[in-house]
Amino acid sequence: MSTQDHSKNRTECGSDAAPQKEALSQGAPAPLNRRRFLVQGTHGVGFLALGSLVSGGWTTPGNAAVNRFAYDVERFSTTDPKFLVYDRAGGFPIPDPAPRRIVFSKEGQLYVAGKRGVSVLDRSGGLIRLIEAGAPVRCVAVDGNGQVYAGVRDHVEVFDPAGRRVRRWEAPSKKAWLTGLAVSKADVFLADSGSRLIWRCDLEGKIIGKIGEKNPERNVPGLILPSPYLDVKVGGDGLLRVNNSGRHRIEVYTADGDLELFWGKPSAAIEGFCGCCNPVGLALLADGRHITCEKGLPRVKRYAADGTFEGVVAGPESFPKNAQAGKARDSEDGTMGGLDAAVDARGWVYVLDLVAAEVQVYQPKGAV
Amino acid sequence: MNSSSPHPPSVSRRQFLRDGARVAAVAGLGGLVGLAASRSTGKEWVWQIDPDKCVRCGNCATHCVLEQSAVKCVHAYALCGYCQLCTGYFEPEPNALNTGAENCLCPTAAIQRTFVEDPYYEYTIDENLCIGCAKCVEGCTRFGNGSLFLQVRHDRCVNCNECAISKVCAGDAFQRVPADQPYLLKTTH
Amino acid sequence: MTRRLSFKPLWRAGLLLAVLLGLGSLARGEQRFPPPDFESGHQLPATTTPAARALGLEYLDIAVLVAALGVASWLIYRRRSRRGLIWLSVFSLVYFGFWRYGCVCAIGSIQNVALALADPAYAVPIAALAFFVLPLGFALFAGRAFCAGVCPHGALQDLVLWKPLKVPPWLEQGLGILPFVYLGAGVLFAATGSAFIICQYDPFVPIFRMGGRTLMVGTGIVLLLLGMFVGRPYCRFLCPFGALLKVCATVAKWRVRVTPDYCTQCRLCEASCPFGAMREPAAGRPEPAQLARNRRRLGWLVALTPVLLLAGAGLGAYFSPAAARVHPTVRLAERFLLERDSPPRTGVLSPDDLALERARQAPRQLLEEAARIRRHFSWGTPLFGGWIGLVIGLKLVSLSLHRKRTDYEPDRGDCFACARCFEYCPNELVRRGVLPAAAISQAAAAAARPEPVVAKEGAS
Repeated sequence: MSTQDHSKNRTECGSDAAPQKEALSQGAPAPLNRRRFLVQGTHGVGFLALGSLVSGGWTTPGNAAVNRFAYDVERFSTTDPKFLVYDRAGGFPIPDPAPRRIVFSKEGQLYVAGKRGVSVLDRSGGLIRLIEAGAPVRCVAVDGNGQVYAGVRDHVEVFDPAGRRVRRWEAPSKKAWLTGLAVSKADVFLADSGSRLIWRCDLEGKIIGKIGEKNPERNVPGLILPSPYLDVKVGGDGLLRVNNSGRHRIEVYTADGDLELFWGKPSAAIEGFCGCCNPVGLALLADGRHITCEKGLPRVKRYAADGTFEGVVAGPESFPKNAQAGKARDSEDGTMGGLDAAVDARGWVYVLDLVAAEVQVYQPKGAV
Repeated sequence: MNSSSPHPPSVSRRQFLRDGARVAAVAGLGGLVGLAASRSTGKEWVWQIDPDKCVRCGNCATHCVLEQSAVKCVHAYALCGYCQLCTGYFEPEPNALNTGAENCLCPTAAIQRTFVEDPYYEYTIDENLCIGCAKCVEGCTRFGNGSLFLQVRHDRCVNCNECAISKVCAGDAFQRVPADQPYLLKTTH
Repeated sequence: MTRRLSFKPLWRAGLLLAVLLGLGSLARGEQRFPPPDFESGHQLPATTTPAARALGLEYLDIAVLVAALGVASWLIYRRRSRRGLIWLSVFSLVYFGFWRYGCVCAIGSIQNVALALADPAYAVPIAALAFFVLPLGFALFAGRAFCAGVCPHGALQDLVLWKPLKVPPWLEQGLGILPFVYLGAGVLFAATGSAFIICQYDPFVPIFRMGGRTLMVGTGIVLLLLGMFVGRPYCRFLCPFGALLKVCATVAKWRVRVTPDYCTQCRLCEASCPFGAMREPAAGRPEPAQLARNRRRLGWLVALTPVLLLAGAGLGAYFSPAAARVHPTVRLAERFLLERDSPPRTGVLSPDDLALERARQAPRQLLEEAARIRRHFSWGTPLFGGWIGLVIGLKLVSLSLHRKRTDYEPDRGDCFACARCFEYCPNELVRRGVLPAAAISQAAAAAARPEPVVAKEGAS
């Protein structure tokens, strides 16, 4: 066949005859008009670019603006001002990355148990000395002579007032997990979250009794402790205040282990104890009133000696870092957040923020 | 037309160039593979969530390529407080501590509550219902011990080349882990 | 579902192994607080850890790939069997597509290789590497055997093809640039660790998985509907791996020929290719006057290519900061800098806010990381822009080249080796014994008529 026939035939069959004819007549191999290709191509690229701009183009699907599955406790995270019975009077950082408990000595010095040991501070946060215990200290108590009892996970280390190690008490139990300490004239009480009871020891560390253990005969229901925050404080009346956090209440025991009184109810509302296991810290005012500390919704409140809600020392809005505690990498042993408090002779409340590693000082409203 | 040779000459310039290019391409491909293979460990990798970095943002429920996310809540029972008032199970302020839907936190009722002994309850996740939204994880971590946490479940995960959730993970918690150790569990140690 | 069931014993064993070996090494910090002792003696259940897919099965995938590539090559060059390729396509679609959910896949493996080359910390899985290199290696010898019957994406589109329309050549050639651009973008974003866009915007994997992002499911369905009338739209106008295969196939040792023997110029195969890969014989040498003009034009286009390359590189550099924003870390760092002085957010935090909180906890680390990624992009985007310029330039040059072609034959690069055109060739029919040898001269005569009668018979 001849080339002429060929091209004629193609012209009849081809859908776009003109450009093919042109391409053939120019001897170009591709059946495509170059100019047309460029023009159309430019248009195409333009449209594509525009389209990708409009549709957000290459960007990955973004984060949702809201979390529809958010766990919402917002309505509890600000405090009604009418409940606030304290004013903030200052604050200072703690020279320890993971503080746990705070107490006042009789001389008015702050003893802070923490990862580095026991930090002894003056009222304004100045470090007086650091008592190292060779392991993280979880709780501390100071007796009338200035002797320091430091709870290291399963046992107690005793230091003299100058910070020299005096004794090491044996662990009361294999499961011991000490999280609170209190000293009376003749006894030391060890709050043991692991064994879920309070050990009563003499000043030499000899165990002379168990308090709070489940005992239906004595009408003691037992301590429920989902998390290791058991605390114990001895009041001026010689009675023990223990936070039975799994039952959301404060229990009052005699040194012999009789349950005298309990109060408290679970509620995220301001007068109750929030979450699954609160309160996590206790302090006693000289007149027997209670300061309680909670985690989850970090708040510090004051209750009368009989457990009547009196007011708020500081609400969740005062501890923004603590309120977000679970957001961050949790601590090494899995305990998360929380507060502790100590009260000085004037009735001022020193709140220890475990997450921010700082102390906030609160004075009663109207106090001079 | 039969006069024209049915086959082109055996070696043309074009053919020579083509052969050269092919040899070069084989060598190049070999080099590329050698280089890439030197970076390969021969291990398979899968996606997993580091529970310590997870911030419970809710994206796991919405960004997995699967209809129902391969991320599920799992329970480290050894960390659980066995609370009666479980903040991972109940709404923040429940009317009553019972299994009524109005009291429960989980949007798909995937958490089952069983009585163990007074006053302890055990909580288990029904993975067929769980969508990995982390609402319970937030409740548990905020108030409790954080025994509930999210993990990519490898019986469901299709192990995408690039995990779609990992790119939107607010906590940057997604990482590749060896396929023979595919979980980052919370443990008691 | 079946997959889950069939691996049950395996994951049980994996669980045991994980408990015995794995957990100890995952120890973190101090001992945590234990749960209560139950008086009832209740035992704590163990946290289950269903195992990941066993490594051995990755090797099975590779073996199946090699076998399928071999069978495809054999079917194309030895058996010359379209029917065989259809069955192979069905197998590949079921195995690599619906069984393996389209993942592991050669198209996506480009990104794994790119990331492995760019980031020493990333270890490319053996399977991904094999899926990248084996189809390309085969293409260097046997053309696009992978596309013909192994790739599930290709198989899916090939099997839905119903009434192929002819795409106008200008559009065909113009859109033919896109795979190379997509390839460049895929490599850029993968190598910078920003995103695996080829996977993210894969239209067919959501179909294999029977679910996915609405946008991509929709795109997949639209492409399949389009694929009923336009042959393999994704393969021709988008597939980045196809771009690589095309380059390899142009220098392949063996090529697909319509005729098993010799071409009678009967032109029955002229319209046989639904993918626009059939090339007609080129006319003889152009006239000398034309030749001079064509050569001058070619010279200009060759000179234009570096200019396009540089212009692309310049544009790429200009868009570098914008492109870097594809990386979530860069986006987060920018947002952090913007909102550095604003107070921490309170209330129910959105995922974005939570990410910002994370940024605030370790700002330095984040900013350094973002700066590092930006540096990578300041290299990468000019390269990407230059690549686009180069591709356009080379496309223009190739369109201006005069190729001597005596027979009807599929384009080396564009041919998917689907074997459709074989049946249009009377010589093939003679080879198969369908036609007597004498029929060939009749067929050549019939070709002069506009209606290709025999071709219709062959197609039915």
